[in-house]
Formats: sequence, structure tokens, C-alpha cells
Amino acid sequence: MSTHEQGSPSSAGATATALEPRWHVAVLNDPVNLMSYVVLVFKKVLGFSETEARRHMLEVHEQGRSVVWSGARERAEHYAFALQQWHLTVILESDEAR
Amino acid sequence: MKRVEIRLSLEAVLPLIAVIREAADSLSDDLAAPNSLGDIEPDLREGWREDLVSAQNEAITVLLALFDETFDESGVVGFDADNAEPVLRACAAVRLRLRERFLKALNEEVLESGDLEIESLQEPARKAFMCYLFLATIQELIIQHLDTSILDG
Repeated sequence: MSTHEQGSPSSAGATATALEPRWHVAVLNDPVNLMSYVVLVFKKVLGFSETEARRHMLEVHEQGRSVVWSGARERAEHYAFALQQWHLTVILESDEAR
Repeated sequence: MKRVEIRLSLEAVLPLIAVIREAADSLSDDLAAPNSLGDIEPDLREGWREDLVSAQNEAITVLLALFDETFDESGVVGFDADNAEPVLRACAAVRLRLRERFLKALNEEVLESGDLEIESLQEPARKAFMCYLFLATIQELIIQHLDTSILDG
């Protein structure tokens, strides 16, 4: 399962992040939203390239889910909320819960 | 500003608008996508849900505004950088609601492809499926012609 990491934490931030569980934003498959729509949403919300967006869309379509972002909880919540505004089915998972 | 206008057959579309409005109205306090908010921190959850419902309602208002009295006379709807994104999102919300209320009997393959003999369906599923396809067509038009406006917006 592939993930998309954004931003490079400062050394202080990296120390803090290392102590906190890593959060994952997973998009689940639904038969309603168009493939082209999901690609557009990934590009818009997550800043993916066309290739990257299509790869994650196909992963959702073929495997039922794709982790589209991993990192700190606050940012994961931001992306989950933004994706839900576009009516994608999204779950948040932490390493601790896996 | 780029603008796309399409002229629709009033005879074909007007009967669908009532179904779309009804499905949209049923979403006034509900989220269209079956998202579980259980993994959101409890103190954040209610505000999170309210914000999603509010954004959903705003987008649906923009979608329904396309089909006003002017549309009833002209059959023309227009999309531009101002309404493309909310219309796109509202179409997704209403399609999800149509599926939940009327099209649950259809398998996922049919819902994905839209490949089905309409005559094989009974009402109200028949009209709901036509709305489902109609809203997908609007989405495809917007994505094809206004994706840059949405990505840059």
C-alpha cells in the first residue's frame, strides 16, 4: 500500500513526531463516484500529479482502499475532512490501532 | 472566464428535477457519504459533522439554483469557475443519496458502468437511475471543460 508524504519536518518537529503515532488517511472504494471525479479530488485536495492521482484511484478501485496520506494527526484530520467534503468515503487510522 | 452552457430537453429533464430536488432536500441534515466519524476525536466530532453538512447544503443550493425559472423557459444551464466546484460536489452528494434510497438493488458493476436497460427498472428506481446518469453527465462535462478552474480555484 502506498502512501504520500508531504512536508519535511524540522528537527524539533521530527523528534516530536517520532514520539507520536503516525496517522493514515485511507480512501475506501464506492461504486458511485466517477473515476475521473476521484482523480480530480486527489489532485485538488492532496496536490497529487495526474499520474499519482490515477495510481491511487486505481488502487481504491481494484483493492478497495488506498492510503493517500500519512503523518501527524492534525494534518491527517485536515485531509480527511477535505476529502469528506467531496463525499469520498474516508477513514483515519493510527499505527497504534493497526 | 471560461463558461460552458448546455441546452437540455425540457421534456426529458423537467421530470427528473423533482426527483433530484427531493433527494437533495432529504440531505438537509444528513451526510451523503457513509463516513464513520468514530475515529475523530469526540470533542471535534460534532463540529466536524456540522461543518460537512453545512458545506454540503451550500453546494446543493448552487446545484438547485441551476434549475430555476429561467431554466424552465430556456432549458439552458451554465457552468463556470464560480459554480463548477460546488455543482460537482453536489452532484456527488445527490448521486450517493439516490443510490441509498432507490438503487440499492443494483449491483456495483451496474452503478459504476451505468450500463443497464432503463426499461428493466420499475418506478421509482427508473427515474432515480435516470437522475443518477444525468448528474454523472453534468460531472463529466465539468471535469472535461473546467478542471483547470477547479484546480486553480
